[in-house]
Amino acid sequence: MFIFIQTLVAGVLIGGLYALIGIGMTLIMGVMGIINLAHGQIMMVSMYITLVCFNYFGMDPYLSLVITMPALFIIGYYLGKYLLVPLIGRESILPENQVLMTVGIGICLTEIMRFIFTSNYQSVRTGYSNKAFSLGEVSFNFPLVMAFFLAIIITVLLFLFLMKTDIGRAIRATAQDKDAAVLMGIPQRKITYATYGLGAALTAAAGTLLLPIYYLFPDLGGQFTLKAFVITILGGMGSTVGAILGGLTLGIFESLGATYISMGLKDAVGMVIFLLVLIFVPGGLKRFTKI
Amino acid sequence: MSRFKLTVWLGCFLLLGTMMMTPTPALAQDTIKVGIILPLTGEKANFGEIEWNSFKMALDEINKTGVKGKKIELLREDDTGKPDIARSAAEKLLTKDNVVMLGGGYGSSETYAIAGVAQQKKIPFLINTGSADNITEQGWNYIFRLNPPVSEYDDAAQNFYKEVAKPKTAAILYENTLFGTSGSKDFEKSCKAAGIQILIKEGYEHGAIDFKPLLIKVKNAKPDLIYMISYVMDASLLMRQSMELDINPRLFVGGGAGFTLPEFYRNTGKTAEGVFSADLWIPTLPNPGAKEYYNNYKKIYGKDTEYHGAEAYSAMYVIADILKRAKSFSPEDIRQALAATDIMTAFGRVKFISYGKKTNQNKLPVYLVQWIKGKLECVWPKEFATTNYIFPHKSWKER
Repeated sequence: MFIFIQTLVAGVLIGGLYALIGIGMTLIMGVMGIINLAHGQIMMVSMYITLVCFNYFGMDPYLSLVITMPALFIIGYYLGKYLLVPLIGRESILPENQVLMTVGIGICLTEIMRFIFTSNYQSVRTGYSNKAFSLGEVSFNFPLVMAFFLAIIITVLLFLFLMKTDIGRAIRATAQDKDAAVLMGIPQRKITYATYGLGAALTAAAGTLLLPIYYLFPDLGGQFTLKAFVITILGGMGSTVGAILGGLTLGIFESLGATYISMGLKDAVGMVIFLLVLIFVPGGLKRFTKI
Repeated sequence: MSRFKLTVWLGCFLLLGTMMMTPTPALAQDTIKVGIILPLTGEKANFGEIEWNSFKMALDEINKTGVKGKKIELLREDDTGKPDIARSAAEKLLTKDNVVMLGGGYGSSETYAIAGVAQQKKIPFLINTGSADNITEQGWNYIFRLNPPVSEYDDAAQNFYKEVAKPKTAAILYENTLFGTSGSKDFEKSCKAAGIQILIKEGYEHGAIDFKPLLIKVKNAKPDLIYMISYVMDASLLMRQSMELDINPRLFVGGGAGFTLPEFYRNTGKTAEGVFSADLWIPTLPNPGAKEYYNNYKKIYGKDTEYHGAEAYSAMYVIADILKRAKSFSPEDIRQALAATDIMTAFGRVKFISYGKKTNQNKLPVYLVQWIKGKLECVWPKEFATTNYIFPHKSWKER
C-alpha cells in the first residue's frame, strides 16, 4: 500500500508540471490551429534564463519566474509576429508550413543555446534541492511539491485571465471562430501573437519550476515537446481543462507503469494510455468536461 | 519574389554549396586522413567533448614531428548519440572522404553500428570507448578495441567485495541501452559466482525526471549493495533521490561512465560523497605521460579530465604509432600494423589479443575509485590506492 501511495504521489506531482507544459501547447493549438513543435525548446530557453539568474545574480529559481515568464512572452510574441503568422495563406507544397517553421525555430533555439552555453550538463543546486518531508512513510520532495502548487496557482490565474479579462475573452473567441471574432472587431493577428507568447510564457514557467528538480542541457527540449504533444492530444486538442486532465493522467500512469511494470517501459506505458484514449475516447478527455 | 531575385538567390546557394563540398586539394595530398566519430552534440556530448579535446591535444603533439614526413589530419563526424546517424557518418567518412582508418566510437550502440560499416568496407577501426562486450565478439578482424569491455569494468570492485565489503544482497539499476544491459548481465553473473543474491534487477529509460518508483522498490528490498550503470545526469538524480528516500545500503557502486565525470560531483554535490565507481584510469598511474596528460589538459582547457579523455589521448598515440609502422596506407597494411601493436601509452599498455569469445581486444587492469571530499580517489587495488576507502556507507541521517 505504501508503495502504491508513494507512486501515486510521485505521479500527481509530476503530472502538475506536465499539465502546465500541456496547457501552453493547447492554447496555441486552439487559437492558431497548429502543433507547436518548438514547445520543449522554448522551455529549455527559459531554463537557461533561470540558470543565468541563479548563477550570476544569485536569484532564487522560483523568484526568477517574474523574469522568465515575461521574457518568453516577448520572445514568443515576436516569434509569432515575424515567423509564424506571416506564413498563413502562403502557398506551399505542404499545407502545414507553420508547423515546419516551429520545428525550425526549435532547432535554432537548441543550437543558439549550445553555442552560448556549450553542451555541458548544468543544474541549479539550491539549499532545498534535496529537501524532502514525509507524511507517514510517504516522502514528498520539496521542490516538486513547490512546483506543483505554483503550477496550480499559475493555472488558476490563467483561468481568471481567460474568463474575466477582455483579452482573455478575445483569445477564447478567436479559438472558437476566427471569422466571427474578426467581425466583432477583435484584432485577430495581435491576439494570435499574444497567444503564442502566452503559450511560451506558460511553458517557461514549467521550465523554471522544473530546473531545481531536473537538469539542463541544450537537447533537453525534444522529450518535453513530445510530452506536451501527447498531453494536448490526450486532453482533446484545444481544451485547457482537458490538458490539465491529460497532464495528470500521463504523470500518474507513467509513474504506475514504472512501479508495477518496469521503469524501462515508463514511456511505453504513457504511449499505450495515449493509444487507448485515442481508440476509446476519440476527441480526448475533454469529453468528460463541460468547458 | 521576382524571378530574377529568385535566380540570384539560388545561384548564391549553389555556389556556397559547391564551395563547402569541394575539399581543398592542396591540403588533402600531404596529410594522412583519419576519421573520428564522436557524439559532439546530443545527450552524450559531454563525453564527446572530453574525448575530442584529448584527441586534439595528442594530435598537436604528434604533428610537431609528423608521421613519415606527413601530418595527420583528423576528420571529425558527429554521431549525435544515435546509431543510425553514426552509421551514415561512418559511410560518409569511408566513401566520400576516403580516410585510411577510423577512430573514436563512444556510445556502445553507435560504436556497434560504425564497426559494422567498417568491417563491411574492410577499413580498420580503432574503438576507444564503446564497451559493450559483443562488439569484439563478432570475429570482425578489422575492429580493434583499446578499452576493456564493460563486463570487466567491475573486476576491481568484485575483488573489493570479496575482501572487504562482503555484501550478501544486491540491487542492479541500469540504463536500458546496449551498454547498460551488457554490463548488468555480467554483473549478475559475477554476483552469482560470488554468492551475492540479486534482489532487484531493473532497467530504466535514460532521461527520466523521477526515479522514485524504481527506488521505492529498492528501498523495500533493503539490499547491501546498489550497483548502477548510468550516464552522468541519471547517475546524479539516482543519488539525489536515494538520499531523499533515505535508502541506506552498505555501499553505492557505479559502473563507470557517468560516475567518474567531474560533472557528476558538480551536479550531485555532497550526496556524491562515498559513492564508489569502477574506473579505468587515474592520473596517478605509473604510465608514461599519464600525469603530463592530466596536467596539460587542465592547463589547456581549464577543466578536469578523466578516463574517457585518457582513452582518446592514448588512442591518438596508437593511431600515430600504427601509421608509422604500416608499410603503406592500404587498409590491409594498417590492419596488420594494428594487430602487431604493442606500446605503452598514458592509458596503459596497448596490445590486441584474443581471449574467450573476443578478438583484437586490449586487456587492461581496472580500478575502484571513491568520491572523498570532492575528489575522485583510487581505493582499490591496494597497490594503486591514493587513500583509504570509506566503508560502510554512512546513513544519510548521520551526515
